[in-house]
Amino acid sequence: MTGLRARYLWPGGLVLVCLGLLGLAAGQLVALERQIRVSATENMIWIFGQTQAEALNLALALSGDADPQAIQTRFDLLLSRLTLLEQGPQRRFLEAAGLSEPLSGLRADLLRVDPLAGTPPEVLQAHVTSLIATLRGNASLVMAHDWQTQAARLDRLGHLHRLALAAVIGAAIAGLTLSAILIDREKRLMRARLDRLRSDQLASDLTREREQSENHRQFADLLAHQLRTPLAVIDSAMHRLTRGGKPAPPDLVAEKAAVTREAVARLVHLTDTALLMSRLDSDAITPRLRDHDLRELADAVIADVRRAPPRDSDPSRIVLSQALTPAIARCDPTLTAEILTNLLRNALLYTPPASPIEVELKQTISHVTCRIADHGPGMTPGCLARAFDRFARGEGHGNVPGSGLGLTLARHLARLQGGDVTLAPRAGGGLLATISLPAGNES
Amino acid sequence: MRHTVLRLIMILAIWAAPARAQEVLLTLTGAVTDGRVDITRADLAALPQHGYATSTSVSDGRPRFDGVLMRDLLALAGAKGESVRARALNDYVFDIPISDFHRYDVLAALTMNGAPLTARDKGPVWIVYPRDDHPELADIRYDMRWVWQLVALHVE
Repeated sequence: MTGLRARYLWPGGLVLVCLGLLGLAAGQLVALERQIRVSATENMIWIFGQTQAEALNLALALSGDADPQAIQTRFDLLLSRLTLLEQGPQRRFLEAAGLSEPLSGLRADLLRVDPLAGTPPEVLQAHVTSLIATLRGNASLVMAHDWQTQAARLDRLGHLHRLALAAVIGAAIAGLTLSAILIDREKRLMRARLDRLRSDQLASDLTREREQSENHRQFADLLAHQLRTPLAVIDSAMHRLTRGGKPAPPDLVAEKAAVTREAVARLVHLTDTALLMSRLDSDAITPRLRDHDLRELADAVIADVRRAPPRDSDPSRIVLSQALTPAIARCDPTLTAEILTNLLRNALLYTPPASPIEVELKQTISHVTCRIADHGPGMTPGCLARAFDRFARGEGHGNVPGSGLGLTLARHLARLQGGDVTLAPRAGGGLLATISLPAGNES
Repeated sequence: MRHTVLRLIMILAIWAAPARAQEVLLTLTGAVTDGRVDITRADLAALPQHGYATSTSVSDGRPRFDGVLMRDLLALAGAKGESVRARALNDYVFDIPISDFHRYDVLAALTMNGAPLTARDKGPVWIVYPRDDHPELADIRYDMRWVWQLVALHVE
């Protein structure tokens, strides 16, 4: 929990810091923008200068022999400037500069000597002269305060500017740190993912290796067991032929030779199967797929089986139903022959001696199938479910020679060619073995 | 000729009852009808009256200004030009582009808060911009165009 909190605390905090600093910078920039605006009020030096100029203009008009109308205009202008000085922003400026005291009441004083009210020009002149002196005495103070205000404003601008800059730099640092943390985290995540993938791979390799080693052990056991019987047969035949010290009669030699050859054939078959299985295990078999007539293949295989049937079986029981059309399948003929041989020998070995074995070819749009139906005892559902497992032997077949690899091999080889081998109970008793292969292009 | 007549009227106006109405407030020169047009208080009163309250750069609060629109005034004088050189009583001059008067409702204000503007304040005519309705007008470049104590306009 604390780890999880720490995991989100740092980046979350950094995001907040980043956003906070950016907000601060934005605030500073807005304040900066406001400060930058120049308003006319800040032009106090000019306003004050204008007031002085109007006072001097009035004094000039009074000293010459200007007509009363001109004097009145000059008077009005000076009065308007004094009015301006007493208005809001200007008044506040003078107050801040400490000048409201010496400059207060100037307008009211001037109104008291209004020429419209009949003030004599000499009185007005004296008043204006003293007004000019007052204004002149304070002009430099106005200027000083104006510049002071401007300088202070520039200072504030500089300060805001530095603050905004610092905030932006801070945000940038926070952002960089944040990205560094995220990149580091991503890297670690990637590494962990890779490690997990590698360990998964290792685990699956190990399981595979174990399975293979177990398979090999079982295979070796089985092979040894299966080798014993033919070897014992050969040994017994040889023993019989050499017993008693005298040459064996020719008919006995012929009989024992036949028995021995049959045993050797079984041994050869066993080693062939073992070799094929081993090649399959190491993926060393690449099927050579061509279009072949499955019917011709089945004929050839049946002929072969008839020539060399398993011991004590009558291969004439195999009946190939006469199909009219050729059944073209895309397959490897050697591998397919191996499958068919396997299924036919099984049918011969595991069914009663006189029961028929029917072979039938069928064609669908996508597949060509060859069905081998027997009238034997069939298989229990449990046996059917495990029939294709390695080294699975049917129940009660202890005395029948077999490796427990035949069906496994058959299915493997069929799947290698894009087909399959399936087993199902036959309607009316017995077993129905089906090999299906992809239909060829010519069909 | 017209000038003389106006002068005569002015002199008469001193004696006559509607004297104030015939007082010449503004003189327009340059690209205007016959090169010179004198605008009297009565001329201004005959134009459509407009008014609004706005803040100013030299006073507090939002005083209400009433008067006529500058564009109406220029139209009355038949002004044709790009800019006007506004001149105040104290010879303050400032050039204002005429486009301002079309873009904004710029007033030639005669009263502030109902009271007539006089030369003792910023009258008789004060150019007033609707400063509060357009943010860009709250700027020194526009504040300087608020010419007060306006007496003459030279159209160029």
